[in-house]
Amino acid sequence: MSQEKFAEEYEVVVVGAGHAGCEAAAAAARMGASTCLITIHLETIAQMSCNPAIGGLAKGHLVREIDALGGLMGLLADETGIHFRLLNRSRGGAVQGPRAQCDKAAYRLTMKKWLEEIQNLRLLQSVVTRLIFEGDRIVGVACQDGTRIKAGAVILTPGTFLNGLIHIGLTSYPAGRANEPPAMELAQSLRECGFKILRLKTGTPMRLDRNSIDWEKFRPQPGDDQPVPFSFRTSRPLKNLIVCYVGYTNEKTHQVIRNNLDKSPLYSGKIKGIGPRYCPSIEDKVVKFPHHPRHQFFLEPEGLNTSEVYVNGLSSSLPYEVQKEILRSIPGLDQARILRPAYGIEYDAVSPAELKPTLETRKFKNLFLAGQINGTSGYEEAAAQGLVAGVNAVLKLRGQEPFILGRHEAYIGVLVDDLISFGVDEPYRLFTSRAEYRLNLRIDNADLRLLPYGFKLGLVSEQEYQRFQEKQGRIKKVIDFLSRERVKDEKGEPIPAVNYLKKPGINWDKLVEKVEIPVELSPEEVRFIESEVKYEGYLRKQEKEISRIIRLDNLLIPQDINYREIPGLTREQVEKLEKNRPENLGRAKKISGITPAAVYNIYLYLEVIRKKGLRDNVPRGTCEPDE
Amino acid sequence: MNQTLEDTIIAISTPAGHGGIGIVRLSGPEALPIARKIFCVKEPEQNIPARTMCFGYLLDDESRETLDAGYLCYFPGPYSYTREEVVEIHLHGSPVLLNEAVRLGIRAGARPAHPGEFTLRAYLNGRIDVIQAEAINDLIRASSLDQARISFKQMEGSLSRKIASAREKIVDLLTLVETSLEFPDEDTEITPEQIRTVLLDLIGDLGRLASSYEQGRALLEGLTVAILGRTNVGKSTLFNALLEEERAIVTPYPGTTRDFIRENIQVDGVLMKLVDMAGFGQASHPVEEEGILRGQKLAEKADGLLVVLDASREESPEDFLLLNKFRNKKKLLVFNKSDLKPAINRQKVLDTCPGVSWVEVSALTGKNLGQLKKMMLETFAPQLEKQEEIILHQRQKVLVDSIKNSLENGLKLLDEGAGEELVAEAIREALPAIGQLTGEIRNQEVLDQIFNRFCIGK
Ligand SMILES: Nc1nc2c(ncn2[C@@H]2O[C@H](COP(=O)(O)OP(=O)(O)OP(=O)(O)O)[C@@H](O)[C@H]2O)c(=O)[nH]1
Ligand SMILES: [Mg+2]
Repeated sequence: MSQEKFAEEYEVVVVGAGHAGCEAAAAAARMGASTCLITIHLETIAQMSCNPAIGGLAKGHLVREIDALGGLMGLLADETGIHFRLLNRSRGGAVQGPRAQCDKAAYRLTMKKWLEEIQNLRLLQSVVTRLIFEGDRIVGVACQDGTRIKAGAVILTPGTFLNGLIHIGLTSYPAGRANEPPAMELAQSLRECGFKILRLKTGTPMRLDRNSIDWEKFRPQPGDDQPVPFSFRTSRPLKNLIVCYVGYTNEKTHQVIRNNLDKSPLYSGKIKGIGPRYCPSIEDKVVKFPHHPRHQFFLEPEGLNTSEVYVNGLSSSLPYEVQKEILRSIPGLDQARILRPAYGIEYDAVSPAELKPTLETRKFKNLFLAGQINGTSGYEEAAAQGLVAGVNAVLKLRGQEPFILGRHEAYIGVLVDDLISFGVDEPYRLFTSRAEYRLNLRIDNADLRLLPYGFKLGLVSEQEYQRFQEKQGRIKKVIDFLSRERVKDEKGEPIPAVNYLKKPGINWDKLVEKVEIPVELSPEEVRFIESEVKYEGYLRKQEKEISRIIRLDNLLIPQDINYREIPGLTREQVEKLEKNRPENLGRAKKISGITPAAVYNIYLYLEVIRKKGLRDNVPRGTCEPDE
Repeated sequence: MNQTLEDTIIAISTPAGHGGIGIVRLSGPEALPIARKIFCVKEPEQNIPARTMCFGYLLDDESRETLDAGYLCYFPGPYSYTREEVVEIHLHGSPVLLNEAVRLGIRAGARPAHPGEFTLRAYLNGRIDVIQAEAINDLIRASSLDQARISFKQMEGSLSRKIASAREKIVDLLTLVETSLEFPDEDTEITPEQIRTVLLDLIGDLGRLASSYEQGRALLEGLTVAILGRTNVGKSTLFNALLEEERAIVTPYPGTTRDFIRENIQVDGVLMKLVDMAGFGQASHPVEEEGILRGQKLAEKADGLLVVLDASREESPEDFLLLNKFRNKKKLLVFNKSDLKPAINRQKVLDTCPGVSWVEVSALTGKNLGQLKKMMLETFAPQLEKQEEIILHQRQKVLVDSIKNSLENGLKLLDEGAGEELVAEAIREALPAIGQLTGEIRNQEVLDQIFNRFCIGK
């Protein structure tokens, strides 16, 4: 038993005010828990450490989901966005993802303001150095200045600060972000907890002075004519206030990089951490794809009141001198001044295999982890986890059922399930291909999928819920109308309007040329109807499959089952099953090394062999059943 | 049924019955110590050398009685069939003796193997994959040479390789589709045409694999060949002649055969199940009528038909009725009784079914029966390319078909311009079947491919 004296007490303490921490703290407080958000610098709350953009494919989906659950990120990105695009606009609704560039300073300040306005939420500038436990339960944190804060639950969201080490060329220094101190003691404290610690790596490109770039040399990439907001709550029209530009490296650039690989901490073996392959440094690209004559990059202004320009695509950990040389080789950047050099950073993460689906650690009760500490990368992935951790911390304290989203109902569910089931071996990023039911996990139905949960949790207001129901009413009216109404197809045959809309190549605009819609719809509602109609057959099929899977997942495995009796299981599988004793088939599936074939064999055993009393007459030879 | 891989199993591994030599095999951690308890190597060395025949005696270690002389051969794991410790004891092929050896082995600590357990262990220990395991089973059961040859090739993993290559192409396909969907801002320059090419290639591969199933099935299960024709044209006589045995009753009276008779014959290594049945024509008896009806049903399902005509009589309307009824089936026209004076207008008959091969035989004298057999093989048995690997299992065929179906659906969507996410959906629909056929494809694998092939990332 610890004899700690506590200065203050909160139900929930969140350590770190990045994208995960802000969502976690906001969710916990708004659910009514007294909450304290501790951060090293109040100035850098919700700092966008890397690129100035939110969203993209899969990530934009996440933001919509966070928004539907009552989180902040979507609303904030709309509020502070200065350049909006909907990726894959020409493709189907399931693979469209909004992306916005935000004014970094405004993003930070607005988040701070919003957090300050939340009841029950207190911000505190301090450095947490130690976790305080009683037995296997966390009871508080200790700060650098000796203050101890008691907590019902603690959510750790330290980003890249855990044992952070910045590399520029062969020089390295401890830091959590450029020129900000790392969290060394906290990292040590986690190691002492006995968690499996991973060492990961990421990087960020240089920021250039806008006035030193010859913009004529680059191809402009303006935002969309009709910006699509992230948030279901954003009603004001969005405006593009800046233009981005596209440029390319060239053979000369690549030569510079090749000549200087010996100064790269990555290639000299100095960096041991594992970096993300989807976000390679420019030296990585040149080495891995030697035959590519050029690599694309984007020039992205970081805000309205700054001359800093983010060079998306030139992430590097080469020395400052070499970075300058790289720029000199690119027409238009040859005079560019570096305001902040690019750097690589190594940091500690905890293997997410240590977590429950609520993001609580398995080892310690009421200790939750969210964001990069769980091996992910990306603001959106972090924010989503923050929300999950914040909500579940409160539910746990109140003794309520945990909030766990399935893979079939949200990308958030896919994200968390991937993390805890498979662990990570590089910083994890979400992709739409990671979802089994991609056609159902769309931006246009995120509210339908999740808003009722948000309402139930108390994160979505009565009024918003009302609006949501009205929207569903309008949509239903129109779909019913389209099923009744007939239009003439290309051959002049009258067919139901829905069937016409279903045809490849026919979109809403073409439909309304033929039929007048009796209800006024927002673009968002149109997008939803289009997707539902186009994907109808697939969605129904998936629905069936989902309910079948849920039924199977819930199939109980008797605790006294003798796994050795089940044909087709390997020795290791039997051992793992005996150790874990999963209560149902769904849990068994989650155990590493338990393949789908093994699950099928267990199923077969439970359903066929045991039921029919065929125990002594199990077919042998091969393990694959015929039907 | 207490089965673990920890115990050592023993069984006679040569076929039942008397043979020149017989082999008793042990597999498991105690294989060698148990073998040495029951088999005494003549020049006992400290260690039995690996994979070497050691001369010695089978010994009852209780009565100290020598039962037989033979060889012991030791295959240390993992370089053995099951990847476990394996010992083979080669003895004289008397069932009594071999059973005694097994009994001694059990007394020394082994347990009798379940049927197929050596193969099962090889499978469980990762020595062979499911397809190879199935192939070995077939090899053990193979009853004709061709079949054995094909099974053997599969065992060597050639089918596995072919399926592995299809799997690779599927990953490739997913890589293209997913990259184009997932990274619209990167200049990866993937065109629908590129996706189309891979799709077509894959569909072609799967089609060939699926059609080879027909061949495999024919070889494994045999082809059903129905003999039909009017009454009294000599069907039963032909049946007996092909069988080289007086199996069916033959009389000069029409309506002799009333039910089916089935017998198997081997034609050049291929199993054929011949069916003789009631003749078509005016039934004079309800039993005969029922026989005719059933015969028609069976003929519908047969792999091939021998339509027998009596060449010594004029063609009749029933002949034409019959030919018309089965016009879509693989068949041969057999003009029987060619030893008698011809009366049939052969050309007129042939004109009604162009392209169908025919032959003049005499079931009575045996004339041209060799020729008929050859034609049966050519027409009914699928053409075997000696190099072609063959799918032998219904299970695999169903999987291949369903994968092919999904991909064809994907191709159709692509051609309609339905959007890559739907093409992707069609391919993804096939993933469970692909998983069962080739091992699961995890999306991580596709992502790995994407990052290896394309320079992704801003
Ligand atoms: N000369 C001659 N007689 C034959 C030949 N084949 C069959 N016959 C005779 O034709 C008669 C009928 O023969 P089956 O074999 O019983 O004829 P079937 O077609 O089986 O007759 P059902 O069973 O009654 O439909 C018998 O007397 C046979 O000996 C042949 O090639 N040459
Ligand atoms: Mg007969």
